[in-house]
Amino acid sequence: MTQKELHNQRLLREAERSVLQMHTRRHFIKESAMGLGGLALAALFGCGKNNASSQIAFDPAHPLAPKLPPFPGKAKSVIYLHMAGAPSQLELFDYKPELMKMDGQLCPQSLLEGKRFAFIRGVPKMLGPQAKFAQHGESGAWVSENMPHLASIVDEVSFLKAVSTDQFNHAPAQLLVHTGSPRLGRPSIGSWVTYGLGTENENLPGFVVLTSGGRNPDAGKSVWGSGFLPSVYQGVQCRSEGAPVLFLNDPDGMSRDLRKASIDAINQVNAEEYKAYKDPEILSRISQYEMAYKMQISVPEVMNINDEPQYIHDMYGTKPGHACFANNVLLARKLVEKGVRFVQLFDWGWDSHGTDASLAIDVGFINKCRQVDKCITALILDLKQRGLLEETLVVWGGEFGRTPMMENREGKQNPFKGRDHHTEAFTIWMAGAGIKKGGSYGETDEIGYSAISGKVDTFDIQATILNQLGFDHEQFTYDFQGRPFRLTDTKGKVINEILA
Amino acid sequence: MIEFLGHFHPLLVHLPIGILLIALLLQWLSRIKKYEVLQQAVPVILLTGAIMGLFSCITGYLLSITDDYNENIASWHMWMGIATTLAAFVLYAKEKNNRFKVNKPVLSVALLILIALTGHLGGSLTHGSDYLSRPFTNIFNDTAESMIIKPIANVQEAQVYADVIQPIFQTKCYSCHGPNKQKGKLRMDDSLRLIKGGKDGIVIEPGNADESELIKRMLLPDYDDDHMPPKEKPQPTKEQFALIHWWIANGASFDKKVNQLPQDDKIKPVLIALQNVSPEIKVTSDLPSSPVEPADANAIAQLKAKNILVLPVALNSNYITVSFINDTTVDNNDLQQITNFSKQLVSLKLSGTNINDEGLKTIAQCTNLIKLFLDGTPVTDKGLKNLTALTNLRYLNLVNTKVSAQGISELKALPKLQSIYLYKTLIAKQDWPGLQQAFPKTQLDSGGYIVPTLVTDTTTVKAKVQY
Repeated sequence: MTQKELHNQRLLREAERSVLQMHTRRHFIKESAMGLGGLALAALFGCGKNNASSQIAFDPAHPLAPKLPPFPGKAKSVIYLHMAGAPSQLELFDYKPELMKMDGQLCPQSLLEGKRFAFIRGVPKMLGPQAKFAQHGESGAWVSENMPHLASIVDEVSFLKAVSTDQFNHAPAQLLVHTGSPRLGRPSIGSWVTYGLGTENENLPGFVVLTSGGRNPDAGKSVWGSGFLPSVYQGVQCRSEGAPVLFLNDPDGMSRDLRKASIDAINQVNAEEYKAYKDPEILSRISQYEMAYKMQISVPEVMNINDEPQYIHDMYGTKPGHACFANNVLLARKLVEKGVRFVQLFDWGWDSHGTDASLAIDVGFINKCRQVDKCITALILDLKQRGLLEETLVVWGGEFGRTPMMENREGKQNPFKGRDHHTEAFTIWMAGAGIKKGGSYGETDEIGYSAISGKVDTFDIQATILNQLGFDHEQFTYDFQGRPFRLTDTKGKVINEILA
Repeated sequence: MIEFLGHFHPLLVHLPIGILLIALLLQWLSRIKKYEVLQQAVPVILLTGAIMGLFSCITGYLLSITDDYNENIASWHMWMGIATTLAAFVLYAKEKNNRFKVNKPVLSVALLILIALTGHLGGSLTHGSDYLSRPFTNIFNDTAESMIIKPIANVQEAQVYADVIQPIFQTKCYSCHGPNKQKGKLRMDDSLRLIKGGKDGIVIEPGNADESELIKRMLLPDYDDDHMPPKEKPQPTKEQFALIHWWIANGASFDKKVNQLPQDDKIKPVLIALQNVSPEIKVTSDLPSSPVEPADANAIAQLKAKNILVLPVALNSNYITVSFINDTTVDNNDLQQITNFSKQLVSLKLSGTNINDEGLKTIAQCTNLIKLFLDGTPVTDKGLKNLTALTNLRYLNLVNTKVSAQGISELKALPKLQSIYLYKTLIAKQDWPGLQQAFPKTQLDSGGYIVPTLVTDTTTVKAKVQY
């Protein structure tokens, strides 16, 4: 730096200082007057304080402590079985003999006008049901040969046959089902529920997520994210083999005592910090350390299915040591038995476009059904014989349905029989916890294209789940960015028709 | 005549306000050299304003004695109005005769402030004291009504007057019969004055809704002058009318809870509708219909200290659930503590604990129990005998216990029992038909379900034809 530059720098600093000296207290007060006046006015008119503040208090020291629902709910826990990719309702529960008659014909123009499809272009052909149907149980529910086991327990479940959504791509549709918005950023339903109710078992997370083979759904981990809720409430993803929760095990060479000592030390430092700053997030952090320490013992214990007797393994069709959906279903039962509030299962491979054999409606789809049919049936029956079905809500479904037309990707015939994404009508079923046994609600037209009665949407399903847990979905809100948010946003109606 | 003149007040008041403000404006402008000439107009305008102020004061007084306004604000408004008029006269005098010993600038500023204050008080009288600030306090609420009427979590536990009736009065009546106005000398926001009634006598006859003036006037056709609320004001809904009628018919009590009043089939849906914003929601509670006093807080605290979950079933409910999920050792002391709130206890989860037949004797005192979980405990037939006292029991979980058909049949006498879970018990196969017969209304779940392994469960289909 030259002499001249140094000199200039000094001059500049002096000039700045003299400007600051001109800035007197009087200036300051004068400049503040408007701002302070504005603040005073805001305080006078009660801005910033929300009159309709939510009833649920967030206790940072015990974020997962059990909390009370506004009214006594029927359900204590929820198991949500999500078939990611969207299974075909036309080969499972929605029996459409009329569609068979149209098999192979060109799709009538009236069904295509003004509609958008993910892959269908031009005029596709109709595709008749690719499975044989029969009526089952006292309720006479139609179930196809693809799910012979589930057919034996139709009198335990309620079918919603005219569910609709407004998203025809996997990720946004999955987000809509689980967070109430097709875009990122909202808390998932499991987060809402653990935020509202906490969890009863202090040694286990309140919201557990299990994915088949560890493959995440298209929407990614946001479908079990906590959004704007405190991050304590996000889903804890567990694995059925290896370490159940990643990064929970002690590293090599660290003994349990040493771990305990270090956590105690960290918590002590945090406690001092809390004394100094009183930031509730510090309390939250302390409780999370303690929880993680307890989980190191309790999670591997509950996540181990090897202790289950052989007849249970036979019942579920589990394969210990392999990553499969059946193992996760058995785990879900174990978790609920231990008081976990919300268990979310994701299976994948249900996207039956017909682009290859594994995605063909008459090949891969049937194999997917075989993978889940037995274990889901076992889950319902096992919960029932343990007296848990009365307080556990089981929900099964995909993110949308599939078209009665055969997919013609980019206007060309696909190599296998397949169906495109369909938003207007699909089937979801629920069981347990105050859901009508052997119920059915909603009807589609004679080719299963759109709903003709009892149409419900994903918000209605969320509203019903919250209702069974003891919440009015319209009152269950969280204040964020200056307004109360709720899971069902501005929509949703409890589906009374399937409540017992 | 007095009333007629009084009604000119709202018209007249605006004249002195405008005229005096002009006078002040001219007075201040005339201090600038360019506008000096305006000074000459100031005295005559001030005098006109002052005289108009005098007329306003007179008509205002006449209005105040013929109609019922909030006395406090009305008297402030009156004295401020008089002060404004006086100040205007004094300022006029000062303008005419400069020897008059007052500080002109101070007096004119004072006059401005008086005009503003008097005007504001007058506005508060006619439109309500929260008129000005209402747009701001209502940012988060669409209507004033939604701010006042809060949904009730459990309507049966709610206060009839404070939670149900008062909010209706608040939105539909208080604007004329509240703190700011008492038309017909009736003030409804205070329970004592509400009972006292208005100038035509009492309006509520407890126990006799149809003879109550309040109800009668609501039922008058809306063109009738006595119809309440007046037809230009928001009208109560049918449901709100039904609630008020029901409340008066049942004694118009101010301190009872909803469940302490008799409810017929007509009022029940209306009450339930209050509980939920969407009235179609089913109330899924299995709880006993009678209310219950709060549980013994001391006993609850002692159990909680031992890591036992003790939770009310819902917000605003005194019924309690207890779960030993975090602590599987039950001792006698715990059980004794539980009996301290035996009336409130509706669900008890002892799954996997060491509770034994002896312990069940203590539990038998909790006669309001609806759900009892004894799965995985050492209880036997001997203990089950004690449970016959639990006449409200609906759910009994005995999975994985050493009970047999003999012990179970003791429970026949329980009238409300809906389901018993008996998976992995000692009940012999041949005993089942007899048991089922003994419990015609109860669902006995034997468990042991088998999901057969079909050929299709272990095989896969392969692609046959390729297009």
